[in-house]
Amino acid sequence: MRLNTDFLDGLCRERGMNLSEGLRAAGVSRNAYYTLARKRSVLPGSIERLAEALGVPAASLLTDEPAIPASAKRLMRAIDEVARDHPEIDRDHIRHTLILLDEPPIERLRGALRRGRI
Amino acid sequence: MAASDLFSGEEIRFLEELAREKVDFIIVGLSAAALQGAPVVTQDIDLWIEHLDDEGFQRAIQTVGGAYVPPIGLNPPMLAGKAVRLFDLVLTLHGLDSFEEEAANALRVKIGSRRVNVLPLDRIIHSKRTVNRPKDQMVIPVLEDSLKIIRSRKSKK
Repeated sequence: MRLNTDFLDGLCRERGMNLSEGLRAAGVSRNAYYTLARKRSVLPGSIERLAEALGVPAASLLTDEPAIPASAKRLMRAIDEVARDHPEIDRDHIRHTLILLDEPPIERLRGALRRGRI
Repeated sequence: MAASDLFSGEEIRFLEELAREKVDFIIVGLSAAALQGAPVVTQDIDLWIEHLDDEGFQRAIQTVGGAYVPPIGLNPPMLAGKAVRLFDLVLTLHGLDSFEEEAANALRVKIGSRRVNVLPLDRIIHSKRTVNRPKDQMVIPVLEDSLKIIRSRKSKK
């Protein structure tokens, strides 16, 4: 996937700027821009190969959303499962209990005692 | 007491000593609920001891440098000393069966190097429903929800 310089140029003009002004507004140096513009691809080769193997555009494999740690995903799935069985229970309560269940019993007790001393 | 010192070496050693002396005891109350995963707050660890005159019980207290204070007037029996300051003695639990029956159905939870008896959450709830003091009424819904969550998780495994 290469940088679409024509599209970028057009966008700058639409916004009443020439390309140099657009680059200045974005804090991108002309050197960096022309280096990118000359590249055949601005995507890592591995992503392009993966997209090709799967028969999808490389851009479809990219997202702007921050990565969610696997442990958080597992916890969210577990909360959903319990909430499906017991919609009457507050989801915060489910989350706190599930986090505690992941700890050894002695740590659960220490936490309860610590909270009792605050 | 610094929060980081709570339930550290000394308190664990006391429970290990009780187990080593083969003292019949069950951890009950909210500390037992906390051990099972209920998100509760507690200030002490309630111990239901079958026989307070058990020699092993007295030896365990002495081994960790504590002292047993027998009931005086309206004051219940208590424990004194750094290693046992977190423990409260419970003589009776309303709504429950005999000590022997409850101990037979208790959970065995590892604390330190030993497994100790812990009253199951459903029995804690049953006892609190029976007593039904204002402080019990506040915590019962939390315990009931915790029990449902724990059972739901177990059924998925």
